Amino acid sequence: MASWQRPIYWVVLFSLGLMVQMALLPEVFPAGYVPNIMISLVVVLALYESPRGGLVLGLVGGVLTDLFGGRLIGLNMATLALLGYLIARYQPNWRHDSVFLPGVLGGASQVLVTVLQWLLLHVIGYPVQWQMVSTALPYWVLFSMLFTPAVAGILGVRPSESRARRRGR
Amino acid sequence: MSEWGQRLRRLLLAALIIALVVTSMSLTAAPRVRVERVSNWMATVVSPISFSLSWIGNKVGGAVASVGRIYGLEKENKVLRSQLLEYNAMKLELTQVLADNGQLRSLLGLKTALVGWTLVPASVISRSPSSWFDTVVIDRGSNSGVAPGQSVIIAQGVVGRVLAVSPTTATVMLILDPKSGVGAVDARSQAAGVLIGQTPVTGELTFQLFAHRPNIQPGDAVVTSGYSQYYPKGLLVGQVVHVTTTQFGLTETATVRPSVDFNSLARVMVVVHHPNTTSLPPIFGGGAR
Repeated sequence: MASWQRPIYWVVLFSLGLMVQMALLPEVFPAGYVPNIMISLVVVLALYESPRGGLVLGLVGGVLTDLFGGRLIGLNMATLALLGYLIARYQPNWRHDSVFLPGVLGGASQVLVTVLQWLLLHVIGYPVQWQMVSTALPYWVLFSMLFTPAVAGILGVRPSESRARRRGR
Repeated sequence: MSEWGQRLRRLLLAALIIALVVTSMSLTAAPRVRVERVSNWMATVVSPISFSLSWIGNKVGGAVASVGRIYGLEKENKVLRSQLLEYNAMKLELTQVLADNGQLRSLLGLKTALVGWTLVPASVISRSPSSWFDTVVIDRGSNSGVAPGQSVIIAQGVVGRVLAVSPTTATVMLILDPKSGVGAVDARSQAAGVLIGQTPVTGELTFQLFAHRPNIQPGDAVVTSGYSQYYPKGLLVGQVVHVTTTQFGLTETATVRPSVDFNSLARVMVVVHHPNTTSLPPIFGGGAR
């Protein structure tokens, strides 16, 4: 994919993800337990990006989430951009596979982003009870651990060795 | 540029970004009409997709729930068989009761009771993507007479109020939202206070009471007080679950369970116009006063 096409691809993908999160998942999950699938998308895409690419894609996802939410503009932008950067920055150190790594990273990222957002909300004087985080977080983590590898599979994002093997076959 | 200079530049850039983000978040922490309007327009653009996905999700949710119910069906079947004989005996008596009930219902007539009220029915097409606050988008907007500040209700009670509108959609802040405040009174003792959303996870509200020693008990019905500009007086909000005294015993707060089931919120009514009098039909809590 050409470099200029990637941001367009991200915008389309994140918009679709938001549609699913806002319209489809609330019908399946109870209120308050709806998982954040934008985190899974950022993790999967950032796994194969440069740090700058990871930062930009997290920024794109975060801006769209904030604009659709209509409040606290900057909350998702900052946290998802940081997540994208961190994943892209440290991904060369990890052994890539299609299931385990995205699953673990999805779960860990859910914890990181939720705690960061909770802290940021306290900083700006928008206190949210820890009970909300502690009750729903295990469900979100479990969902992310299952959903992130599934997203990787659906998008066809695979480690480079796996792609090479398929081409050789 | 030297390495030290580059580091300094990065540090300054990071500090600038953090300052911008914190400022932006602080400015938009409370609901702001302009920002909500942008969000609402975006929701309008994607509303056909949202509506389709919501419909699919509803069907999928129904199917998943059906599979879960199968396990309990065998046990339930045995109980139902034994009850069938009993119910057959009651059938004749019930036929008479139902006939009477039907007549009474037609006399009551919801439409007659709502004389003077202009309600716009709407469907919920999407929810907020963030877990930190609770808003929904409905498929009726300014073209249908919906305007910011109008209250949104269903037969079971208060749902929330309209934050922003576009011609075809509107964003509604639910009473569960932490920034939502509803002026309310205990229907039995008339103890007044403000209902504040706790979290969507617990699905409960905190009733901050004004009085030092309010007469409030678990089981009491809580209705809107009419003190706020948004909600008409006497709408049912929920029921008191338990009462707690604050740390130094100066004030009391109560936990209120909303009468509306927000998990199955699909159809709502926007109160476009209501009479200033408080003669509400019992179904909306008016009978509780």
